[in-house]
Amino acid sequence: MSASAEEASDDALLVLYANGDSRAAAELTARLGPRVFGVAMRVMGIRAEAEDVTQEAMLRLWKMAPEWRPGEAQVSTWLYRVAMNLCIDRKRRARGGHVDLDAVPEPPDPGRSAAEQMQDGARQDALQAALMQLPERQRQAVVLRHLEELSNPEIAGIMDISTEAVESLTARGKRALAAALAGRREELGYSDG
Amino acid sequence: MADEDKALQELEDLFAEARSAPPALPDHLSAAILADAARVQPGFQPAEPARQPLWRQLAEALGGWPALGGLAAASAAGLWIGLAPPSFMPDPVALAGYEDSSTAFADGSYDMALMLSEDLQ
Repeated sequence: MSASAEEASDDALLVLYANGDSRAAAELTARLGPRVFGVAMRVMGIRAEAEDVTQEAMLRLWKMAPEWRPGEAQVSTWLYRVAMNLCIDRKRRARGGHVDLDAVPEPPDPGRSAAEQMQDGARQDALQAALMQLPERQRQAVVLRHLEELSNPEIAGIMDISTEAVESLTARGKRALAAALAGRREELGYSDG
Repeated sequence: MADEDKALQELEDLFAEARSAPPALPDHLSAAILADAARVQPGFQPAEPARQPLWRQLAEALGGWPALGGLAAASAAGLWIGLAPPSFMPDPVALAGYEDSSTAFADGSYDMALMLSEDLQ
């Protein structure tokens, strides 16, 4: 099963899971979990929030498995869409409370060595801080396009907007990010050369 | 313009750095996701089997093709024995209270089995 599970499509794994194969869940989690978590981290900006979004999105995937119709859509697209909607819901709820999530910087990535973290940490923190200044939809579009490297049509499907709207959001988002980072060039180690 | 191009290029570099070190799924989160999967899975109904034609459902209920073959052979033998019983068995027609079929014909040698065998030729 392990060899065939690695070769199976997300579609097939979801059907296997719905039919009672628990190993399919492990493979799907290994494949899709990090992608959802990565996007949620960038969009939410807080690890604990990103973890909650990831777990909830995956839970919805498990519950939806028996109704999944293979071939009609990509599992990853469906999951990204659920995750993005969960992020928006949480942001809205947070704005109604007392916590300003956008003001909290991303914690350093624990997967890197200490030296690398010191070197790259400042730049990645700056990128995250600049991302958090973007309007919600721009941030989602930029993260999906430039960090997840999804195609514009796929992002359009995830965000339920036209491809042209995706292009517009990402272009405006990139300009805003570049402007936000321009004032920190020296701090981030970029020289005028 | 050149400044903007440079800023956009530096942004692309930052994106590339971020892509090269994606966050890993924390172990406790992976475990929680799999625990959810295990909790949800037993609630699923088994997938409904594809509907089959009535004749196939009946054949399978009787035990498949071997059983159907046996049933057909037994039916044919029963019909033949009923129409032309061996000499050591009582004539079912007489048992039912009717005349022997052979006596109904003028020459007295005709019986149902002979009639059927002629029909088959």
